[in-house]
Order: sequence, then C-alpha cells, then structure tokens
Amino acid sequence: MLMDSKQLDELLQKYWNAETSLEEEQLLKEFFAREPVPEALRETASLFRYFERQKNVSMNDAHFDRELRKKIRPNQTPNGTIRLFPFGSLGVAQLARIAAGLFVVVAATFFIHQEVKKAYPDEPEDTYTDPKVAFEETKKALMMISNSFNKAQKEASKINVFNEAQDKIKKGQDEKKTNI
Amino acid sequence: MNLEHFESRVLPVKNKLFRFAFRMLGSSEEAKDVVQEALIKVWNGREQMAGIENMEAWCMRITKNLSLDRLRSMQRKQTDSLEGVDVKQEALSPHDRTEIQENMQRIDELMANLPDKQRQVMHLRDIEGHSYNEIGEILEIDLSQVKVYLFRARNAVRERLIKLNAYGL
Repeated sequence: MLMDSKQLDELLQKYWNAETSLEEEQLLKEFFAREPVPEALRETASLFRYFERQKNVSMNDAHFDRELRKKIRPNQTPNGTIRLFPFGSLGVAQLARIAAGLFVVVAATFFIHQEVKKAYPDEPEDTYTDPKVAFEETKKALMMISNSFNKAQKEASKINVFNEAQDKIKKGQDEKKTNI
Repeated sequence: MNLEHFESRVLPVKNKLFRFAFRMLGSSEEAKDVVQEALIKVWNGREQMAGIENMEAWCMRITKNLSLDRLRSMQRKQTDSLEGVDVKQEALSPHDRTEIQENMQRIDELMANLPDKQRQVMHLRDIEGHSYNEIGEILEIDLSQVKVYLFRARNAVRERLIKLNAYGL
C-alpha cells in the first residue's frame, strides 16, 4: 500500500505512542523495507529493518532436533520417569479397577464351574474290560442283593406278628372301656 | 498430545523461543539450553496442556520463566554477538552491508540496554508480532502495563538512535 507523507507521519506517531495495530505495523515494515526512504526517517528505517532481520535469526544447530528427540520419549511420564508398562494415560486407580473386574470374572467362572460339577457328577469309570466277566460280577451282585431282600422280608414278617398282637391288645382295652 | 503432534505444533516454534531466550540471556548457548529445557518441559507436561488454546504463547511463557531462572543463576548478563547464529544476508554491496551491520549492532546494543520488561515487550511485539493480549499472557502482566512498557521502550530506542546518528554519542 502506498502512503503519502501525512499518512506516514500519523501512522508513525501512533507507532511511537504504542497505539498501532499489528496490521498497521505491518504496513510500516513494508514501507521501510523499500528503498529509498526519506533522509529524515533513516533511523526509523534502520530500526524496522533490524526487526525484520531479527525475525530470521535461527538457532543454526543441526543437532538440536536429534538431541531433543533423544531426551523425549513417547513413554515418558510427566515427571520424567520411564513407564515400564506403557498403558497410555491409564492411572493406578484405573488399572486397579480393571484388575478388580478381571478378578470378579475369574472368581465367578470358578464357582459356576464348581456348581455345574456338583449338579452333574461324572459317571464312574468302567471297572471291567471283559463284558462276560462284568456280566458275571453283576449277576453275583444282584443275587446278593436278592438274598438280602429275602432275608429282610422274613424279618419283616416277624414284625408283622408283633403288630397284629399289639392291635389285638388295643382292641381288648377299647372294649373294656366301653363296658365300663 | 502424541509425538507427532509435538513435532508438528511445538517443535516449529523453537527458533522463536530461541530468539526470545537469546534476547533475555544474551548468550546463544544458554538460549539453546533454555529452549531444549522448555521443550522437554512442554513434552513432560503434555497431559496437563489439553486445555491450552495458544500453545505458542504457552511455550514462550515457559521459555521466559526458564530464562529468568537461568539469569538468576548466572548472576550477570552476557552480551554475545550473533556469531554462530544464522542471519540471512540480503544481496547488498560490501559498503552497504557494513553500514547495515553497524546499524544493526547499534540497535542490538540499544535494545540490550533497555530495562528487562521493556526489552521483552518490544521483542515480542516488534520482532515476533504478538498481540498485546498475548504479550500480557506470556509476561504475566496486564494490558495497560504492556502498552506502557512498549511506549517507553520504543521511545528510548528512538531517542538514543537519533542521538547516535546525529552526534555519534
């Protein structure tokens, strides 16, 4: 933008009074970057050129980025220590919650397994490999049970005799009571 | 903030941080150390920086605080030349280049002799192009103070520059 001397004076006055906007200061920088500048503004021009030159000052250190990258690592915590187990941004409390959740799942699975085992016990394993031997052994066992049942039945018939006698006595007593 | 984000948003401001640290410390080596320390600090504190809107101003503020710490430990200010620092040279005749170099050197000294706050405000405004609000944020001072420091700094440099050119004082 071209400025006449009046505009320039006004803008410079604002600049010295620290009242210019960044845009207005940019106009001044552009104005003073051009040659030639009025003799009366030589000092001001050198000041603006100084600002522009300073803007281009850089570190001039090719190793800076490499050195910095060595010192910062993705797993580095805010206090500068290295995480052995990089779990992102998870804190101790969050990890404890996850561990508690896993524990509950494992415990529940164990108890359910125990209950299922009780409800459906395993079938006994075969004790004989030869079916004939197994048949004979089964027959023997059934005969033994049968004999035991027969014995028990005989004993039970004796109990019946006692019961019958008891009933007769009870009947006699009842008859006596009614006669009285 | 991940490493990629750090490299794309934070690392590119290193030269700006360097210039500011250099302006405060007057030593390029000290300034480099401060910038490295500031960037490591930004990285280590990345989890707390999620809500920061102006990352550049935040980095400048860290740099300012670290430079002040270093100044205190140094107990004295050094004024290095810009040797070892890359300044782009324009295509000028040797005579013009010498004259400009001398002028630049003079202004450098004038700015170095300003009181600390004035020097910092003038650098942030006239070289780095920060807004008044950003300068207040970086230096932790209010807006009216920013303008007062800037007014004083500009006028002090102007007066001394006029005297130097007029009488060689």
